[in-house]
Amino acid sequence: MSKRVNNAVRYKYPLPVHPIELPQLIIHNPVSWAYWSYCYLTGCNALQRKIHVDIIGEKIVHIEVRNQDDMKYLWENGFFGTGQLSRSEPTWYNHMKSKFQNENNESINKNISLEQVTKLRRQQRIEFKKQREVVEAKLLELRKKGELTPEEEARILEQERGKLRKFKDDQVALHLVKEDPTENVREKGRLLIQEAEVIGENGEIIQMETLELMPVETIFLSFALDVLDITPSKFIIKCCMNDSFDYTDELHKLLIQYTAYHHYRSHGWCVRSGIKFGSDYILYKRGPPFQHADFCIMVLNSNCSNPYTWYSTIARVCGGANKSLVLCYVERTNSKEQIIKWVKEDNLSKVFNSFSVGEIIFKRWVPGKNRD
Amino acid sequence: MSSTTNQDTDLNLDEDEVIQDWSDISKIQNDNPILSIPKRGEKDYEPDGTDIQELMLYRAKKAMFDTLENSVRGSTVKSQVKGYYIPDKHVAMLPHAKGNFVQTMGETDKDGTLWLHFFEFLYLAERGTITPYWKAYGDNVELPLSIEDLYSYFKNQKEMDNFSIYAHLKRLGFIVRSSDQYIITKYNISFYPPLDFKSKTIGSMRNIVHRITSSFTSTGISLFNGIIFSHWHFYLKRYKSSPEIYESLNKLITHQKIPHSISDLRYEHNNVKEQSSYSTPTSLKISFNIWKPNPTFKKKYPELPDYQVVTYNKNVSNQSFPTYNELRTLFKSLDYKFNFIEDSSNVDFWNKNTYNNGILRENILDELTNHPRNKIKNTEQVGKKQSVNKKKTPRKELPPHIQQLKRLKNGYRSFLLAIMDNGIISFAKISEADFGSENVWYVPPPNGIVARPNQNGRNKNKHRNTQRKEDKQSKK
Repeated sequence: MSKRVNNAVRYKYPLPVHPIELPQLIIHNPVSWAYWSYCYLTGCNALQRKIHVDIIGEKIVHIEVRNQDDMKYLWENGFFGTGQLSRSEPTWYNHMKSKFQNENNESINKNISLEQVTKLRRQQRIEFKKQREVVEAKLLELRKKGELTPEEEARILEQERGKLRKFKDDQVALHLVKEDPTENVREKGRLLIQEAEVIGENGEIIQMETLELMPVETIFLSFALDVLDITPSKFIIKCCMNDSFDYTDELHKLLIQYTAYHHYRSHGWCVRSGIKFGSDYILYKRGPPFQHADFCIMVLNSNCSNPYTWYSTIARVCGGANKSLVLCYVERTNSKEQIIKWVKEDNLSKVFNSFSVGEIIFKRWVPGKNRD
Repeated sequence: MSSTTNQDTDLNLDEDEVIQDWSDISKIQNDNPILSIPKRGEKDYEPDGTDIQELMLYRAKKAMFDTLENSVRGSTVKSQVKGYYIPDKHVAMLPHAKGNFVQTMGETDKDGTLWLHFFEFLYLAERGTITPYWKAYGDNVELPLSIEDLYSYFKNQKEMDNFSIYAHLKRLGFIVRSSDQYIITKYNISFYPPLDFKSKTIGSMRNIVHRITSSFTSTGISLFNGIIFSHWHFYLKRYKSSPEIYESLNKLITHQKIPHSISDLRYEHNNVKEQSSYSTPTSLKISFNIWKPNPTFKKKYPELPDYQVVTYNKNVSNQSFPTYNELRTLFKSLDYKFNFIEDSSNVDFWNKNTYNNGILRENILDELTNHPRNKIKNTEQVGKKQSVNKKKTPRKELPPHIQQLKRLKNGYRSFLLAIMDNGIISFAKISEADFGSENVWYVPPPNGIVARPNQNGRNKNKHRNTQRKEDKQSKK
């Protein structure tokens, strides 16, 4: 099976709450009616067992899922959370396993993990840059001697550049990475240290990775989908309210962040942290394995006004990554006291119902490209 | 170290980022003005301490200097006209205007005198098209003015910024006119028909109905949300598909209603006056209307502008970037070619939806073409021919998910923000977006049948439809 089809099966459901599956109803067949109603009545959208989360840390709260199956489940059903030792999907364990197997069997494992691919590319890039430096040094040397006419210099430059280009193409085509002996030794050493920490008494690898959820993800999973074993209002109080139950800036920030998160999630987007692009969220149409994200979201107060440089720098970063920058302005439509009261009463639907969003797209405009 | 090979990695440079070689430009100008400037070879990124580099830099600088020094400058004396600055009114007057600029700039009065805004006057003076003179109103004394003199007549920073932005856009070929100032008569060009009693009453009726229904729906929705987001809800309600789950979730957060169509726009426009007390006043306002270069442009009966420009100085302390409510006020005041409207690419659409001084543009054009003495007839035919050509290329119907992505990326109403930063001008396009009225959820294929994911745009709808049908059947 191709990777695409695999993904389509693996990420079949966009949310951790699944729709109930009903058999086909044949109108003129009473047996099918009976079976259908049986399925309908026994079916249930709620999870059999709620997912356990650990909330640790006092000042900075970490929300962690430790159970292996739950970690996998949350990732596969809506791409929630980030593996602490991986790029995003919690793959560290498999990654380590294949690494140790390689050590033992000395065979080449064909299933290279994404992290390894990135590493390979980076190595290739470093290699290429080293080559380039050599070429540049050579040219400088020639220049310093002063024996070159500009024409000659241009010719040599062209020649060297051709070589470099070929080098790069070969790298890509053959997956060439020059073995660096010192690097290899270091790598081995690192593995040994890891081994000491990672291998358990019986020689098996200990899972050290947990899935960390963003606070907004936690609220979404517990409040909107009810799949976590915590109470969302208590979580909000724990996160950002002091004993006097004031409407703090932290609380406000969390509430507007969640409002935006829920807004995009509920319209079908896969929302993930946009920290890589200097923004609050990025929106995938289906999920990271399927396509690149098209939008960067910045969540702002509706009365917020930043210096212009702030907008232009973010727009540059997003534009450089080929994403559109969306400024998501969130407005509070009810009084602070009212909202505090509702949070305390665990009436979060009223709380979030008193926020409304408005969106603005900020994009650099180039006159020369819009003149026809 | 100079990294002369850096270009290797960014081969796809934009055309405007390539460095031009000025070394022989003065020769080119003399021989053939149409030839373009040749591209320079390699770029040295850092000083490498060699004499060769020093020499190359010196040569490049000298080439530029020589070009500026040796090139022929000034304007043809024949075509030059006198322009008079009227200090009391801060405008300028051209009694005998001639030249192409008359078609797109200033206002012409009954006697054929061209009146220019100060920024237009300065722009033309800087180009050498007109010779500026000082003239007190009703006085016969005229004094020649220098460009420095003219610059000293700016009233404030804002005016100077606006001039720079105006001149920048003009030099790039756009047709630019002030959107709010006028000298002789206020000329109004609008997308919106003039308000009459009928549309007013309909508007207010709609408004009342809207208020009543919205109050009902809002209480309804809050009740609904109370149920959806309770703990036992997933045990009671049975969802048969993911879209149903999404639909139950997306009623929670309210989002701004943004006009998508003509009727939305007109409805909002009719209610702006009533709501003006709600809208936030803003220090920013639309300064210029701009049109893409167009040989058939008529300043007496212009089309709706292609863009509207708000100018903004980044370094003035009393001006801050607009907040969301200020932006909304700006969006409401926009009046241009709303190119997001569905059939706006249709040729006749804009003539049918543009009001020049309250009169439908289509009627004005008809009158002009039918008028036997009118010369405009010819130009009008040229215009029509062009539009016929445009019509011939049929628009490709894009698949729905691409159309949706386009809507999301382009947004709806938009304006250009021209940012002045110590003489450097940049532009940002600010548009209203509406993610709240688009749904992008993925519908899993029923019963484990694997759909080819690259078709999912269309499959999605099919699935949704079939599922809806099934739902209906099941309810029966």
